[in-house]
Amino acid sequence: MPTDDTGSSRSALRSFDRLLQQTTTSASILVLPVSLLLFLQWPLRDLGIGYSREANDLAQTLFALYVAVAITDATRRNSHLAADAFALRYPPRLRRLLMRIASVVVLAPWALFIVYASWPMVVQSVRQLESFPETYDPGYFIVKIALLLLALLILLQVILDAIRDGQATTQ
Amino acid sequence: MSGSEGLWMLGTVPAALVATGLPAWIVLIGVTLGFAAGGVVTDALQMSLLTAMPARILGLLEHDLLQALPLYVLMGALLNHLPLAQTLFRAGSRALAPIGANASLAGLRLGVLLAPMNGSVGASAAMLSRTVQPRLDQSGMTPAKSAALVCVASTMGVVIPPSLVLILLGDAMMRAHTEAVNITGAAIRIINTQDVFAGALVPAGILLAFCIAITWWDARNATPAPTSAVTARDWLVAAITAAFIASLLAGVTLGYLYAVEAAAAGGVALFFYGVVTRSLTFDVLRAVLRDTMAVTGALFALLVAATMFTLIVRAFGTDRWVAAMLQQLPGGGIAAVFVVLPILALCALVLDAFELIFVVVPVVMPPLLTVVPAATWVAVLTLLILQASFLLPPFGYAVLMVRSRSPRPVPMRALTRALSPYLVAQFAVLTLILAAPGLVWQRNPTTLSSPAASEPASGDIGDSAPDPQFDLPPDDAAGKPAGKE
Repeated sequence: MPTDDTGSSRSALRSFDRLLQQTTTSASILVLPVSLLLFLQWPLRDLGIGYSREANDLAQTLFALYVAVAITDATRRNSHLAADAFALRYPPRLRRLLMRIASVVVLAPWALFIVYASWPMVVQSVRQLESFPETYDPGYFIVKIALLLLALLILLQVILDAIRDGQATTQ
Repeated sequence: MSGSEGLWMLGTVPAALVATGLPAWIVLIGVTLGFAAGGVVTDALQMSLLTAMPARILGLLEHDLLQALPLYVLMGALLNHLPLAQTLFRAGSRALAPIGANASLAGLRLGVLLAPMNGSVGASAAMLSRTVQPRLDQSGMTPAKSAALVCVASTMGVVIPPSLVLILLGDAMMRAHTEAVNITGAAIRIINTQDVFAGALVPAGILLAFCIAITWWDARNATPAPTSAVTARDWLVAAITAAFIASLLAGVTLGYLYAVEAAAAGGVALFFYGVVTRSLTFDVLRAVLRDTMAVTGALFALLVAATMFTLIVRAFGTDRWVAAMLQQLPGGGIAAVFVVLPILALCALVLDAFELIFVVVPVVMPPLLTVVPAATWVAVLTLLILQASFLLPPFGYAVLMVRSRSPRPVPMRALTRALSPYLVAQFAVLTLILAAPGLVWQRNPTTLSSPAASEPASGDIGDSAPDPQFDLPPDDAAGKPAGKE
């Protein structure tokens, strides 16, 4: 019978998992405005209406946010490319163990390093509300935020999976 | 530091991939971190180099051409979930009924028609397995032959512009060519994505002709597949789709449209098709968005990891080391081609096309292009090898996808036998392009006015292959039409 502590930690994990799920699901819709904006560039430019660069820059910021979240979504849906024809013969337990070790030993330190190394650049960009260097359109700082978001989400997913696996093992 | 460390890294990746079965992007990052740590400890690398990693990822997030990636995946997902493919197959099957082998040829035609609009070989294989394979089975084809045809049709997008693989390879080749030109100082125009599109047209046409002939020959005595009724609306949809795709293809290949805009136009058109025909329900849209994000994330993760990997490979000086080795080869440029292409083909046995483009091409291509200036020709040869990599049993991505989705079990031996005529055709086209580089159409000649600048470093490739003229800055090369924006 689970104690109150394990019950509350499980509930916290579930909420955390739901939050990540909602983030990826909400972000999945961004591909539609990206598609529309990049399509509109064409008539905006060729019909001489203008604003095609603005459409491109806006699409760029949405694209950056989209792919930043998409990597974690691919992890959650287990859709990363793998040459696992040989490893399919391994027992499922061994494959899960390999994945857990790789996540903790490879992904977590790497994501942490990206957060650490990009932090000063992102903070400075946000403070200045940095614009796009070529067009001076506002919003370039969002692209830099996306970099931080990409690494943070990967790190959070690794932590979530590690805790979940740890709980499953102790049971 | 000898420079060979990068080759050890490259060798470790396939071994670790196969041995662990882990996602490729995690393996790449793991190998990168391991060798980088070793390099820092042995003073071969400086710690400050690692701080360049965020800037490299930022470069990907703001890369214009990479915006095409989710758009192509979106198109693939929409095609997979909307009934357009079935309509096109029905109309094609009906139209080809008088000449026999109608189901097989209609399946191949569907692959070719939707190739420029589809996201990836995976998406094509999924769509064709669902739409075409049951009809082929009904016509009395063996499971192996129908699976082989679906495999071939789903890889047609690799060589027919402007597919995702072509766009990504074009971008990788542009970067490789830029690095090679920086090393040699040669005054030649850097190739761009559109050069690769145009260069691939004739080889793709020849390969397609071979595939049509093989398909027709194979299925000429098959029972004609039952063709369901094709309404006037179906004919109209088929005609409009064919015209739309042809105009997109022509627009991008001839340089009137950005590759990204063409992808966006395709996505918007499919979206409106779904809305108008009421086939894009809320549930379907949710599934499309879910699939698009998962596939985009998988590809982008690979791209991020490959960017880290190539950063460390270059930091070890492996590109310069390989370039020096290639330059010492007796036989010049042609010998270098015969060394590098088999390496690519060997890697293709375990890596799929995206892994090859993101990991292997950035390592081996810049050195190769320092001794072979005909970059478009090399790109087209690479493309043909990439297409073969999808089809090569037992690890070819299309082979794995189609086998896993086949309604009936397909023994690998039988599938290999059924695929062999197509693989022979691919080998024939590859040999033809190797022997006759002039078959690669070069839209913009690349040689500068100075004859010395255009002279190839060695070998006879630069003489026989068409070569470009300096009229575009490298920045403009990311699949963008000249003179716009």
